[in-house]
Amino acid sequence: MTPPPLLAQGLQGFLNGARRIGLTGRGLVIAIPLVWLIVFFLIPFLVVGKLSLSEAAIALPPYSPLMEWIDGVLSIHLNFNNFLFLADDSLYLNAYVESAKIAAVSTFFTLLIAYPMAYMIARAPDHRRHLLLMLVVLPFWTSFLLRVYAWIGFLKGNGVINTLLIWLGITQEPLRMLQTDFAVYIGIVYTYLPFMILPLYATLVKLDKDYLEASADLGARPAMTFLTVTLPLSLPGVIAGCMLVFIPAVGEYVIPALLGGPDTLMIGRVLWNEFFANRDWPVASAVAIVMLVVLLVPIMVLRRAQAAEEGATP
Amino acid sequence: MSETTAQTEIRSPTDPESPPFLQIRNITKRFGAFVAVDNVSLDIHQGELFCLLGGSGSGKSTLLRMLSGFETPSSGQILIAGKDQAGVPPYKRDTNMMFQSYALFPHMTVEKNIAYGLKREGVPRAEIATRVTDMLSLVKLNGFAARKPNQLSGGQRQRVALARSLIKRPKLLLLDEPLGALDKKLREETQFELIKIQETLGVTFVVVTHDQEEAMTLSTRMGVMADGKLVQVGAPHEIYEYPRSRFVAEFIGSVNIFEGRIEQDGEDHAVIGSPDAGMGIYLSHGITGTLGQEVAVAVRPEKIRIGKSPMEDLPNTTQGTVDEVAYMGNLSVFHVRLETGKIISVSQSNLVRSPEDAITWGDRVTLGWDGAASVVVPS
Repeated sequence: MTPPPLLAQGLQGFLNGARRIGLTGRGLVIAIPLVWLIVFFLIPFLVVGKLSLSEAAIALPPYSPLMEWIDGVLSIHLNFNNFLFLADDSLYLNAYVESAKIAAVSTFFTLLIAYPMAYMIARAPDHRRHLLLMLVVLPFWTSFLLRVYAWIGFLKGNGVINTLLIWLGITQEPLRMLQTDFAVYIGIVYTYLPFMILPLYATLVKLDKDYLEASADLGARPAMTFLTVTLPLSLPGVIAGCMLVFIPAVGEYVIPALLGGPDTLMIGRVLWNEFFANRDWPVASAVAIVMLVVLLVPIMVLRRAQAAEEGATP
Repeated sequence: MSETTAQTEIRSPTDPESPPFLQIRNITKRFGAFVAVDNVSLDIHQGELFCLLGGSGSGKSTLLRMLSGFETPSSGQILIAGKDQAGVPPYKRDTNMMFQSYALFPHMTVEKNIAYGLKREGVPRAEIATRVTDMLSLVKLNGFAARKPNQLSGGQRQRVALARSLIKRPKLLLLDEPLGALDKKLREETQFELIKIQETLGVTFVVVTHDQEEAMTLSTRMGVMADGKLVQVGAPHEIYEYPRSRFVAEFIGSVNIFEGRIEQDGEDHAVIGSPDAGMGIYLSHGITGTLGQEVAVAVRPEKIRIGKSPMEDLPNTTQGTVDEVAYMGNLSVFHVRLETGKIISVSQSNLVRSPEDAITWGDRVTLGWDGAASVVVPS
């Protein structure tokens, strides 16, 4: 099938234009995501960066401009007080530490639950494997919010779990689960489980069965084979999965807001409060920038470690 | 095994007096309705280098995997050094296996790969170090200890795999297509190296291969497998010169097959009337069979003489026209069309560099072979 002449002409014209400014087909392929990242990531990031260095004001928008041109004098105001304020008030530090702790613990439990699942799926016969993978992805077809709300129904005082426990006679009084850190952990582990399973599955399914047999043949019991062969060889999947869970979990807002109690202090919530309750956009931006830096450091360390590993075994 | 027995006569170790080291008794393996290995019985003695030869799907690898414990026989018994292996998991067997893919652990160095088996046994660190060093020099890989598998060539990887499977000093080493991934030249070199190592260590080897040349070169004895059955077991020359079935004759090397019926069968001779060959084929020995029974006569291409003059000294002669000539350097292969239409393949060593009366396309030639050159197999 040949494309309609008008479309072909247009495409040709576009390609010619692109070539004139030094872009070949290869360059174009790279340019498109680059433009996307600049427009939707870099520019917003710079805007937030700018905000974090401005002063809060009762105005619309609620901050003072960074640069002013008055009577031929250009004055630039860089206000670092927002950052100093973050360091001053222990609330923010606590929120960061608490967020990192909740994210780390949740990541650990997600890994613990996801690994055997991914392993089973990777070892299942072909036809069943596709079905199982489908089931892992299936929750994405309903709204995330809806699924978190469903957990409220499970965890609340007269919810499914408490009713069942009382009926079984395990407890007399309903357990307080909703609005606790426990509920937040459940919510995060539940929500992010597929993000852990999928990269783990991807590395485990590639794991050659011969390695396991060779290990057994050389005298390793199954548990030893797992520790010395399976686990090290699936490490890239473990790292990828942990990053995919840990990073968004640190900044998670919806889950602690819906399932967490008033004392669940997470950075996402602090951010929300600064922006919408306090209307202090500069401090909120500073919180966001610091969070980004805090997250960037472990990512870069991990990347370096991975690069070194790959460099040793090209 | 003691040093003295290891030194003496490893290449022909079959001692009918001693009990076989490996006994395979009526082993059958079914996968659903498919019978992968069909009632195979086989005895292998200490120090043998036994090759299981067969095409893909012949059951040879399945049989090997049952010896190593990765598959459980559906029925039958495997005894290693007299001990029944039923229910013994791979990690408790005295066998080691060299995998076709080598299965070297990619995240470990050569040294760690080789040491793996010893570590699992809890051998002291110092002993592991010396044994790994010894093994590295046995397979000529000194200086490669710190490399990772992906920094090695195919031949080097093959030797690491061999070293790793030998480090625990197994009594029985199972090798699954050990040379399959190497190119032809390297394979030929490695074959002799493998034999040398086997002789030095006196370990019993069971090798699975689909390459008949490899099987013939390596083995002290070999078994030909087809459709899950062990068709024939014997020394390489027995299998080649005295195939017991048409399948074996055709599977090993190339062969000319003449269909026919038994016309005469005496003490010291027999004649097979063959419309294929357009004559009665004379054999200088008696055969087992009834007169008129349909049989096939197998004659190897190198056993047939080809020439332009008549051959009165040979009992079997026939004429034909040269259809094809394939020059292969060390020998030439001629396809000769008989008057009956049958095409016979004949090979001849190229003893003279450029003979003047060289046989070429379209030549009328005489073919002849001796009464002892052919083998009669069931049709």
